[in-house]
Amino acid sequence: MAGEVVQPVPTSEPEQAKSHGGKPTMEVKVYAPFKVYYEGNAYSVSATNDTGPFDILPKHHNFLCMLVPCNLVVKAPEGEKTIKIHRALMHVKANRAVIFMDV
Amino acid sequence: MRRPLEIKAEEASVRSVVSLTSALESLSSMQIAKTKNKVLISNQFFDEVWNIYKQIRVDVLFNFGRMIDEKPIDKELLILITAKGGLSGDIDQRLIRKVIEHYDENTHDVLVIGHHGSLKLKQSHIDYKYYFELPEKDYINVDPLMDIIKKYEKSRIFYQNYVSLSQQEVKDVDLSEVVSSKGRVADLDTIGNDMVSEKNYIFEPSSYAVAAYLEQSILRLTISQFIYDSRLAQVASRFKAMSAAKERSIENASKLHLEYNRAKRNQVDTRLKESLAGLKKIRAGGAE
Repeated sequence: MAGEVVQPVPTSEPEQAKSHGGKPTMEVKVYAPFKVYYEGNAYSVSATNDTGPFDILPKHHNFLCMLVPCNLVVKAPEGEKTIKIHRALMHVKANRAVIFMDV
Repeated sequence: MRRPLEIKAEEASVRSVVSLTSALESLSSMQIAKTKNKVLISNQFFDEVWNIYKQIRVDVLFNFGRMIDEKPIDKELLILITAKGGLSGDIDQRLIRKVIEHYDENTHDVLVIGHHGSLKLKQSHIDYKYYFELPEKDYINVDPLMDIIKKYEKSRIFYQNYVSLSQQEVKDVDLSEVVSSKGRVADLDTIGNDMVSEKNYIFEPSSYAVAAYLEQSILRLTISQFIYDSRLAQVASRFKAMSAAKERSIENASKLHLEYNRAKRNQVDTRLKESLAGLKKIRAGGAE
């Protein structure tokens, strides 16, 4: 998966197909116990794990991974947001990506 | 009877105690609101991570992330979460009492968090092996604590729990048991499609690595949650202590004020009596 864009794989989960200006989006939440860094729709999320850099696109297959220190980039309709990550867990399910920081 | 000036001076000092306790009470009240709000926000985060852990967990044993061949110290580590300093009411004293009931120097090692607890332990002649300051910031780095916990066979945590503004409890739990019980699923059928497994998930780097990481994260979060809970209970206990101290000092100030008025009246009466006696003497002298 390193350095490549993960192709969406259809899942058995009932998903609400969302889009913004014709471009598919997904729900993204990046948060720590006391702070929400990002919450909203996004076109993609890019981060790095042990395997290397990767991107998550809408309708991605269920995915669970540990992130290594990196810059997490959320491409949202309102612009790009970069969040510095020290330690995090990423959980993707049903067109929703949640990044738990500092765990 | 004491002189009115003395009483007045004492009343003034008690009034300053009233102002001080009142200010500390307001400060504690603000801290409670702030800390309670943070605990509520963090609970949502913890619940979501717990939920993933519950779905991925395949066994009920929790081994603190130790390697299979790693031999732990055959002792129970007692972890005490106490306040940073005094003025936190009797909550730390209650916690120390509970620890003393449980403590056996041959089978236990003590780790204390918070300066107040370390002082109380010294007063109770209990030697602690590890000491940490109570973290004040939102982000708590519990990694040094986890390194110590990992070395021990068992760990028991003594912490303070916020029930309400007027009630705070002292509790103790087995750390392994609390993690296992939270991770345990009562009925596997209820999980259904939510089960996180290699059949329906992509894991990176591997399912075992993610599960091991999650186990560490859960321990980290559990300890952090106990620290946050204790901090909330401590500020609530401080608020309670300051309210009681304020009430007492207001009562004392009123008593002193009454005593001052009596002493003042007594002084005036004595002077009046002396004047009248002197007047009588003069009149009696004039009549002769």
